[in-house]
Amino acid sequence: MASNKTAQKTLSLAPVLDLNEATTLHEKLLALKGSDVAIDASAVERVGTLCVQVLMAGAKTWEEDHLSFTFSKVSDAFEKTTQLIGVEIDHLVAKEI
Amino acid sequence: MDMNEIKEIFFQECEEQLAELESGLLKLNDGDRDPETVNAVFRAVHSIKGGAGAFGLDDLVSFAHVFETTLDCVRSNRLDPGPEVLKVMLKSADVLADLTNAARDGGSVDEARSRQLIKELEALANGEVPQASAAPVEVVAKPVAAVAAPPVNEEGFQPVAFSFDDFEAAEEPPLMETPTYEIVFRPKSDLYAKGNEATLLLRDLSRLGDMSIHCDMEALPTLDRLSPESAYFFWKIQLATDKGEDAIRAVFEFAEWDCDLEISLASDEAASSDEELPMQPVPFDLSILDDEPAVSVGVVEEEEQLASQQLGNAAVSVAGTASNVLQMAQSAARAPAEKAAPAASAAAQGAAGQQAAASAATPTIRVDLDRVDRLINLVGELVINQAMLSQSVVENDTNGTSSINMGLEELQQLTREIQDSVMAIRAQPVKPVFQRMSRIVREIADMTGKSVRLITEGENTEVDKTVIDKLAEPLTHMIRNAVDHGLETPEKRLAAGKSAEGTVRLTAKHRSGRIVIELADDGAGINREKVRQKAIDNDLIAADANLSDEEIDNLIFHAGFSTADKISDISGRGVGMDVVKRSIQALGGRINISSKPGHGSVFTMSLPLTLAVLDGMVVTVANQTLVVPLTAIVETLQPEASAIHSFGANQRLISIRNSFCPLVDVGRILNFRAIQANPVEGVALLVESEGGGQRALMVDAIQGQRQVVIKSLEANYTHVPGIAAATILGDGRVALILDVDAIVAASRGQSLKPEMSLAAVG
Repeated sequence: MASNKTAQKTLSLAPVLDLNEATTLHEKLLALKGSDVAIDASAVERVGTLCVQVLMAGAKTWEEDHLSFTFSKVSDAFEKTTQLIGVEIDHLVAKEI
Repeated sequence: MDMNEIKEIFFQECEEQLAELESGLLKLNDGDRDPETVNAVFRAVHSIKGGAGAFGLDDLVSFAHVFETTLDCVRSNRLDPGPEVLKVMLKSADVLADLTNAARDGGSVDEARSRQLIKELEALANGEVPQASAAPVEVVAKPVAAVAAPPVNEEGFQPVAFSFDDFEAAEEPPLMETPTYEIVFRPKSDLYAKGNEATLLLRDLSRLGDMSIHCDMEALPTLDRLSPESAYFFWKIQLATDKGEDAIRAVFEFAEWDCDLEISLASDEAASSDEELPMQPVPFDLSILDDEPAVSVGVVEEEEQLASQQLGNAAVSVAGTASNVLQMAQSAARAPAEKAAPAASAAAQGAAGQQAAASAATPTIRVDLDRVDRLINLVGELVINQAMLSQSVVENDTNGTSSINMGLEELQQLTREIQDSVMAIRAQPVKPVFQRMSRIVREIADMTGKSVRLITEGENTEVDKTVIDKLAEPLTHMIRNAVDHGLETPEKRLAAGKSAEGTVRLTAKHRSGRIVIELADDGAGINREKVRQKAIDNDLIAADANLSDEEIDNLIFHAGFSTADKISDISGRGVGMDVVKRSIQALGGRINISSKPGHGSVFTMSLPLTLAVLDGMVVTVANQTLVVPLTAIVETLQPEASAIHSFGANQRLISIRNSFCPLVDVGRILNFRAIQANPVEGVALLVESEGGGQRALMVDAIQGQRQVVIKSLEANYTHVPGIAAATILGDGRVALILDVDAIVAASRGQSLKPEMSLAAVG
């Protein structure tokens, strides 16, 4: 399954990550499994708990697979929401940003 | 399902809640002190508020909110629901109903009244005398806080402006006097499924004070085992706030059924033991997460706004699950608004469950009335068709094989059963109408300065929905009359040796296939002298007319008749009892009055249970087939020549068991024939007329007795005097259904001016 281990793939998140988006996001992430992935959360205006759960599950999975899972860019709203609900993403945010 | 439909359902539920509210308050008024009654009342107001918030009905929300606060005081035994308190509450329930109606139909509301009531309610919540009630809400709340657990969350909700400047201060240990709460918030998957959002709840929570949060992600599986719509995160929160536990619970108000919530006051040891948890402080500017940035300062209803925002979000963003708004409104309704510890609320729930079991709540569905009506129409056609089939079998198959006849009989029985069952679908208890009456009584009593007690009996008596809908108006008129004209002023009552409080009794019962509604007052009764004089003055009767007491009493049903000395706001506009009588008659009903001077009057209305079918006697009059409603007929007899007595120019009497009864020639009255029929060749139907007196209706022959489907003449043709409706017989011919009272009234043309000019019929 790790056919393309070296190539980093980018997943751009939708502006509104609500209940409906959770399943879509889950599928999108599953499709990227096996590759390094950079999440672009710069367009996010609103994010719900379910989508954060999906993303964190992704981070956990990637960690187990020893692949890189990072947030390349995060919007203010995304950052503040994760902070509000006590989800630590600092270690996942790309340091160069 | 679009938003309007949801709103419509909300209003339907509001009606139910309002009914619940009123009956609860009336129970309290009767001295019921069951905590569950108080809770039911509270819940009703609370769920109206919740739903109204979801639809942004601000007027409704703000009034419900104040009302709810006062009810909360009753619930927590801080306010004794004495008669004065309940008076205000009942009035508030009325205003709440008005506001709901206004929100629904865009009508107007007496704003001065609602403002006045808000003041009174606040004063009550405050436990103060009314004149202090002008004080602002925040000030009012304080003395209450001193007494018991404060409803500060509702009253003194202060917007907390977060900024990064506060960030530094927040990391300081909380001041000694600010209590710190430890909250464990464990959402269930349902919470998300219903469109609620933990982030919003946490945001609202963070606004209450300084908050630190730890998100427990232990349960989170890897991606391939994750169900994206399940709840995995849960939170441990430390919140330093002086708003109290109630404020915290209020944040979770709409979610409390879909999460586990533990709230405890952190002791020092507990706080230190949790220190190992990596708590993230969340004291930053959260306004970016708001849909509408910048929370306006000083908004008392912020809690509701937030709630409505959440609900609004849910409805807008959760496509396809818009009905969640409803679910939430409903769960709010279910929630014993008691924001107590889980154990206590579970107990309350249990109690509520028992209560519900006691009133035997069977599962119900809402069905569009049109669908039921279509079904009823079709069943009506089926009945007609079945009658036609029977008839053609009888006509064609002279041998009449028994199997066909048996089959037909079974068919007939089945049709009848189907019909009864369909009718039962439309049957509704009269309770809602009766409940509306208690409001009318309150208002009229207020206006007239009389003290009135309304007693209702048989509220669960069921009758067709059409009848119920059309019952409200005449009943309102009658209640107004009973209080305004019937009951005396307290002084007069005391002088007459009665209690100062007048009683109006409204009873419903089933009597031989009809519903009988009785309205009795214990007032002065009808002043017959006055009525008679008035009738003479108004040229209704001849000055020398000799009328029985009963006939005098019945004069009040005449158009343009009002005995009130002054034309008051309430009744006496001359559109009173004649309108009542006409509406009752239009329903196929009769109305009677009996009055005892000094002891009050009793109005008795007898109405058909349904307007769709009728048991009738099919008769022949001058070669026309007519149907006489069976309920009107007392007996039938074949007159003998010796029993017929002529009287006056063209009046005839029939003697029945030593009493005389006027003989009415139906064919003559309806202009079916020019000369009077010979009574001996026909049949006399002894009928009870609305005056209570009996009349013998002369018809040529009786064909039989059968159930007929009523077809409105007004809807299909035009109103015909003396004819109530029409029906289709088995042979496909149209037969007219006789309006017995109209016929009798027409036959009485001499003592009273004819109410109608008889047009030629047929």
